[in-house]
Amino acid sequence: QGGARRAGIMTDVHRRFLQLLMTHGVLEERGVRRLQKHCYRVHGRTAAVEELEDFINNINSVLESLYIEIKKGATEDDGRPVYALVNLATTPVSKMASDFAENELDLFRKALELIIDSETGFASSTNILNLVDQLKGKKMRKKEAEQVLQKFVQNKWLIEKEGEFTLHSRAILEMEQYIRETYPDAVKTCNICHGLLIQGQSCETCGIRMHLPCVAKYFRSAPEPRCPHCNDYWPHEIPEVFNPDKEREAGTSKANKKPSRSRQH
Amino acid sequence: MSEQSKDVCDPDSAPQASNSEVHISPGVPGGPSQPASQAATLAAPESPPLGPIEAPLASPPPQAPSEEGDPKALQQAAEEGRAHQAPAAQPGPAPPAPAQLVQKAHELMWYVLVKDQKRMIIWFPDMVKDVIGSYKKWCRSILRRTSLILARVFGLHLRLTSLHTMEFSLVKALEPEELDRVALSNRMPMTGLLLMILSLIYVKGRGARESAVWNVLRILGLRPWKKHSTFGDVRKLITEEFVQQNYLKYQRVPHVEPPEYEFFWGSRASREITKMQIMEFLARVFKKDPQAWPSRYREALEEARALREADPTAHCPRSSVSED
Repeated sequence: QGGARRAGIMTDVHRRFLQLLMTHGVLEERGVRRLQKHCYRVHGRTAAVEELEDFINNINSVLESLYIEIKKGATEDDGRPVYALVNLATTPVSKMASDFAENELDLFRKALELIIDSETGFASSTNILNLVDQLKGKKMRKKEAEQVLQKFVQNKWLIEKEGEFTLHSRAILEMEQYIRETYPDAVKTCNICHGLLIQGQSCETCGIRMHLPCVAKYFRSAPEPRCPHCNDYWPHEIPEVFNPDKEREAGTSKANKKPSRSRQH
Repeated sequence: MSEQSKDVCDPDSAPQASNSEVHISPGVPGGPSQPASQAATLAAPESPPLGPIEAPLASPPPQAPSEEGDPKALQQAAEEGRAHQAPAAQPGPAPPAPAQLVQKAHELMWYVLVKDQKRMIIWFPDMVKDVIGSYKKWCRSILRRTSLILARVFGLHLRLTSLHTMEFSLVKALEPEELDRVALSNRMPMTGLLLMILSLIYVKGRGARESAVWNVLRILGLRPWKKHSTFGDVRKLITEEFVQQNYLKYQRVPHVEPPEYEFFWGSRASREITKMQIMEFLARVFKKDPQAWPSRYREALEEARALREADPTAHCPRSSVSED
């Protein structure tokens, strides 16, 4: 029990957890905890539910030899922790391959490239659609492409915000490896957590970048935020650190839910 | 019991459907065929339309591997594309390093998991084309290892559900066989919708006319012509998507003019959902005791007993589970 990292200890609790996590694709931490409790309950285990981190590490030690892992990430805009079962072997957009036709996959690739190259981490619908003629496979019209983009949003590969597209946290979790290996020069990373960065803030003097939740944590109680690299004044608004408890309260009172939130995955 | 379910899940008389892991005869020795297509690079074939599928009921845990079904048919599928095969004059290439076979097994495992996650058909020729590629000859050992991993790590059985259509599916192998409805609360809307329809069919004891289904769905505020915020195009969902996923069958009522359609349980529903689950669902929805539908409840008990008897190794959830 308790976090022993011995490979090969899988009980039905862990198996069910894996099954259901796989079914969901990507899950927020709240949902993951509920899932864990559910699995314990189903198998009648009255033993104390293992600490989530240990529980997951335990499973991951078994998955290691299979080149898959339960990976933890965070949404880039507000820092909610999310989990997904990912394949560590580099497979180019292979997870999507079974869902989409050749030209659709190529559209995704084009959008991905635009997103990675962009300054803001967003690619405009117009710019993506203008590349429709360059797609491999069957010819696709712009109207069609618009619908395909919506399909990507529904399947949680892209997020749309006011006509612009960026990567869903799921895509980042699942494709980080692939992205780093395919676009080694264009890829941006966070100065704090060193993870892949799509959206974030950047220092206008030295150019380093940070995820919004990383900014929030780093500057949490700083009276005067300064760039960790060049010490220049940090010119952006500092967001708040994600607090799951505050979320729950806000949920029940339904107080001022910002409209943009509803479109974020 | 609804006659339709009986038609679909006819476990023992289906000669081809396999109970244990599947084994396919190795290919004829010869040169390797076209170069391997790596795990789903650009491949994204649409699953071909399938005929009716014989589906075994939840079966006993994996036994010792055995030859199953008609090896020739699958072997032919594996050889697909090798139109002009020179007679086996040259010896085959040296077998790949074990590590490579292991890697292929892992790729196949992931491939199968993703297909299942998307609720897509797992088609053997696709498996060969997208994953196994030039390792066709070692298909059998790759499949065996994949099945083993899936059983040990995920508690899932990779089962050949129809030799005729060469379709596999992932079947849960854990006790108890719950619907995990709480855990699937994200998908609850879909499951709830599906269960509504399935329970209607079950309670009627035969097919449910489309008009009857819409009467029931109206209670949930769903109409055929209205787009719903969660379900979208409901009519498309139930007449196309659920049908494609084999949860429902949607058929024309014979000899009726103007044409009418009715719904039946699909093969997948019969495999994954027990009558007892339906009774529990009904009880929850109508806030009644399941015994308020006495004859259906009796049938559900019968089925539960039959399932337990078919699986003598079934144990109560409290007992520990085998590991390595």
